[in-house]
Amino acid sequence: MPKSLFVDPAETLAPGKISFKSIPVNAYNKTIKDERKRYSDVDLVRIYRDITVLREFESMLNQIKTQGLYNGIETTYPGPAHLSIGQEAAAVGQAYLLDQNDFSFGSHRSHSEILAKALSCIHKLSEQELMTIMEGFLGGSALRATEKLGPVKDVKELAIRFILYGTLSEIFARDTGFHKGMGGSMHAFFLPFGIYPNNAIVGGSAAIATGAALFKKINGKQGIVVCNSGDGSMARGPVWEAMNFAAMDQFNTLWENHKGGMPILYNVFNNSYGMGDQTRGETMGYDMLARIGSGISPTQFHAERINGFNPLAVIDAMERKLKILRAGEGPVLLDTLTYRYSGHSTSDQNAYRTKEEIDAWREIDPIITYRKGLVEAGVVADSKLEEILAETSERMTMICKAASDPTVSPYVDFKKDPAVVERLMFSNEKVEKFDDREPEVNMPLAEVPAYKKIKEKERCPIVDGKPVSKMKLYNLRDALSEVIYDRFYEDPTLIAYGEDCRDWGGAFAVYRGMMDAFPHSRLFNSPIAEAAIVGTAVGYALSGGRALVELMYADFIGCAGDEIFNQMSKWQAMSAGILKMPVVLRVSVGSKYGAQHSQDWTALCAHIPGLKVCFPATPWEAKGLMEAALKGTDPVVFFESQRIYDVGEQFHEGGVPAERYEIEFGDVNKVRDGKDVTILTLGAALYRAVDAAKQLSEKYGMEADILNIHSLVPLDYTKIVESVRKTGRVVLVSDACARGSFMNDVAKNITELCFDDLDAPPVVVGARNWITPPFEFDEFFFPQAGWIIDAIHEKLVPLPGHVAENGCTEAEAMRRAKEGV
Amino acid sequence: MAKAVIMPKAGITVESCIIGNWEKKVGDSVKVGDILFTYETDKASFECESTEEGTLLEIFYSDGEEVPCLVNVCAVGNPGEDCSALRPEGAPEESAPAVVVEEKPAEASAPAATLVPAIETTAVSGEKSAISPRAKKLAERAGVDASLATPTGPNGRIIERDVRTLMDNPVVASAPAQTSAPAAVAADEEYKDVKFSGIRRAISKSMHTSLSTMAQLTHNTSFDATNILAYRKQLKAAEGDLAGITLGDIVLYAVSRTLLNHPDLNAHMLDDNSIRLFKHVNLGVAVDTPRGLMVPTIFHADEMSLLEISKAVKELAAQCREGNISPDKLTGGSFTVSNLGNLGVESFTPVINPPQTGILGVCTTTDRVRKAADGALTVYPAMGLSLTYDHRAVDGSPAARFQKELCKNLENFTTLLAK
Repeated sequence: MPKSLFVDPAETLAPGKISFKSIPVNAYNKTIKDERKRYSDVDLVRIYRDITVLREFESMLNQIKTQGLYNGIETTYPGPAHLSIGQEAAAVGQAYLLDQNDFSFGSHRSHSEILAKALSCIHKLSEQELMTIMEGFLGGSALRATEKLGPVKDVKELAIRFILYGTLSEIFARDTGFHKGMGGSMHAFFLPFGIYPNNAIVGGSAAIATGAALFKKINGKQGIVVCNSGDGSMARGPVWEAMNFAAMDQFNTLWENHKGGMPILYNVFNNSYGMGDQTRGETMGYDMLARIGSGISPTQFHAERINGFNPLAVIDAMERKLKILRAGEGPVLLDTLTYRYSGHSTSDQNAYRTKEEIDAWREIDPIITYRKGLVEAGVVADSKLEEILAETSERMTMICKAASDPTVSPYVDFKKDPAVVERLMFSNEKVEKFDDREPEVNMPLAEVPAYKKIKEKERCPIVDGKPVSKMKLYNLRDALSEVIYDRFYEDPTLIAYGEDCRDWGGAFAVYRGMMDAFPHSRLFNSPIAEAAIVGTAVGYALSGGRALVELMYADFIGCAGDEIFNQMSKWQAMSAGILKMPVVLRVSVGSKYGAQHSQDWTALCAHIPGLKVCFPATPWEAKGLMEAALKGTDPVVFFESQRIYDVGEQFHEGGVPAERYEIEFGDVNKVRDGKDVTILTLGAALYRAVDAAKQLSEKYGMEADILNIHSLVPLDYTKIVESVRKTGRVVLVSDACARGSFMNDVAKNITELCFDDLDAPPVVVGARNWITPPFEFDEFFFPQAGWIIDAIHEKLVPLPGHVAENGCTEAEAMRRAKEGV
Repeated sequence: MAKAVIMPKAGITVESCIIGNWEKKVGDSVKVGDILFTYETDKASFECESTEEGTLLEIFYSDGEEVPCLVNVCAVGNPGEDCSALRPEGAPEESAPAVVVEEKPAEASAPAATLVPAIETTAVSGEKSAISPRAKKLAERAGVDASLATPTGPNGRIIERDVRTLMDNPVVASAPAQTSAPAAVAADEEYKDVKFSGIRRAISKSMHTSLSTMAQLTHNTSFDATNILAYRKQLKAAEGDLAGITLGDIVLYAVSRTLLNHPDLNAHMLDDNSIRLFKHVNLGVAVDTPRGLMVPTIFHADEMSLLEISKAVKELAAQCREGNISPDKLTGGSFTVSNLGNLGVESFTPVINPPQTGILGVCTTTDRVRKAADGALTVYPAMGLSLTYDHRAVDGSPAARFQKELCKNLENFTTLLAK
């Protein structure tokens, strides 16, 4: 809602019409003969060689999966093989003009894409550059393994072996794979050649690739980004979200020093099938896929539909599209027609297509037609091409033999090293800044009005014995703001975005005043597209930047489910630690806004391996955790609560320090000392627990030890165990619905860790397993101080004179569970 | 007439705002809609337009001050008009601090002291009460029998506080609550049912366990008490604490020394296969109290002087009678001495305090006749000693040898003292 853009009613309501440009369909009509001036004979032959390498690689996998045998080598593997046999010419054509500065992202069916791009890079790089890359990758261990394959005629051949061996042993889940086998077939990649992760989630790369393009655009990096997917992904919401994100008007209307379109090419290898469903004619309505760009942007994404069975048609299109992208006029959409002879996977029975159809496409297989064309145009003798085929087969046999031999290519030894994956889950690094350039800002930090205001606030709720008024008190919101300001002035790659982050200052005012300080390229409003918000942050971070994004309400986590649970969480480990994921995702737990805006979903996030999860409940915690989150290299889901943005620091002695500090993830915050009962809290429930503790002390002489769990993952149980051993009693309180809540997990762990010290089983006091009713009925749904006391009275230690009003007998608990409420 | 402009309410939950900058100064003429000043909440800033026309007569709050919503901020009217009536109370110095309003409804104050909900008392006899792991651990460490505790936890579970109650006040377990006895309704009942006190229950259980699980038998013997009676007489004539030393104390002293040579009797049976031998003698001393038998322990009696033993016994017995003895002192004995001599008992069968392996009964002194070598009969005071031992741990002869050595030491007590 920038004030600079006037929504003019006259213009808005003026009559007119929308017109579209024509979209070219298979417009390329040149022959090899025509193109001999454009390509040298060597280039034309190399295109053929590359196609054969790709075809042989996947034919090998097909034979291994279906027969357990390839050229006399008996082997097999249990993992997936989503093959693209038939699509090789399109992959080689696309990669032909790309170099290592251009990033490519793929799908579950991307072996050919990554090999084609690798072969293209190997051709373009000098021998010296290749050696440096191979020596530098994983400390040269992959190169050492490749060298053992035998004598080699030159570095280029060595590099080809290197890339084939690294990819195959990755697919075979070997320690010698590019990512120690942790990625596998659907997640193979090789960063030094600009080959970024493939993705097993259909369309999963769309937002990630868009984030990579955002990284290039904002940080002035060379190259463009290619996002490859299949036509089966075209109905997925996140793909549309990503394409819309990439086409935002603000890149041209508002971005001060970074005007221009996103350098991204959405390329769809359109083989007519999404697994077994037929896109055109059955499951989609676009008729021709290239049309969809017209639904997103007036540029129509410069879309074209091209013949992917002709490598030269693809190169021709790529040349034109690269020009558009490099001129800052992206994004671009290519509908690259192709066909897959192989099944979706090796268990495919081809129930959805006829043999005639497959044969009709086989007749025009580029590996035959392109070869014929080369010979007919007089580029090369057929015998030479036969030699290339033989050479390809021989090389692949050697690679397969080595990759399948456990003495040459061992598996990771889990028995010897049971922590091998454990070590990959988090990178646990501290990085002050991801680039040395000066951060782009509008004014010095000390002059930013909103920042100055924060600095002037009272950091302690009581000054000279008098309570500080709410307006002047440094609160939880200020704590978050202060750190974000500080970090923005240190790390030039740090960007923040989400819904209404800029002019509005964030829905809960955490970004208040930041628009004065930062240009649009560092702080901008995103479309209401949660999948794109998180997905682009993932792409931005794994490309080398730091992203702080927000989803406004925690309830919207569901809209970005894949991006949080499958992408943000998994890439560090799936890349065997090569990728870093410095993404902080802010989500706010609402109140007063009903059933779809009030949920604490910490348990969902804590359940997913690979995410750090925190939920500060005091300004002191908020400041220290945000500082740690924005310096770390791991993905953090940062929960906040709308009930407590305004609270001052009531527990930390001396209030919130003015100086910078970090709170280690894992620690718990002891806010009250007592010997009789431990109360563990999460989120805003802390304040109700403090109320309960006061009543317990005044009415029953019982002193509660209160520990706030501000970091859910990781979580160090030391202080919790210490407290429970002391008191023998523990109540766990959070605003999450009790069933399956994070506190249940903690309770179970306490039971194991402290069983002999427990005077009663740990009691979880959570919200009811209902929808959140209107705010007027909050006290019937969310845990209240009285609930905590009742739980103590009924389940831990009966309190003299107490009458439970919110009790839950065992029979009632059984009934509720049986009813599912 | 002068009119006031108030601080607008910028939102339903906003209680007060801070004035940013005054755009107008006193004396300026203002029109409706003119911007008077900027103000802000913690989330946003706004501009306040004048709702009146005239001259700005007075500004009640200046830049940076916090003003509660709907309170007069300035006065607008004709030059020279008195506007003091519009000045809000407390302005400007004491701008009232915004009250932090809790957003949740106030807790209904709990009804004053209602009754404790019925706490289930010990279940039907024979049925074991559940016990929390913590309570169980504490009972084991403190050496108390947790089954005697009155459960007050949820579902009739014995929890930590119940064991602590038992430890702090072993008597309380028998407290008044146990009124379920059906008796005493009719006036002329020929009997009444009385519930055992906690101690009685403990004794009952312990004695029954003792006799039903051990192989106990008793040897009766006596010794010539001439020496100790004379020594006792001597002490009685002495000043102070020494005068308080009794014959019982003397026996305890002798036992504490003699036992060291008979480790099987200064021991605990751990199970059917093993025995724990103590390096020191921790003497249990049976004390008769109004509530029943109690057996406090004199730890390391073998290292104490006769006087020290005497004083310890007196102190422990007093504590037992007063009921304030620490539970720690009621356990840990390695051998027990029970004295019924002062009640005239000539011999008896003391019952072993499990898991000890022996108990010595001290009996009264009677006159006996001894025939000397020359056939002359002499009368001497003989004190009886009844030793019960656990035949599982100790055989008859070793037990008899202990008794013999004990008698010899008592007959030559002054010699023993010198050692």
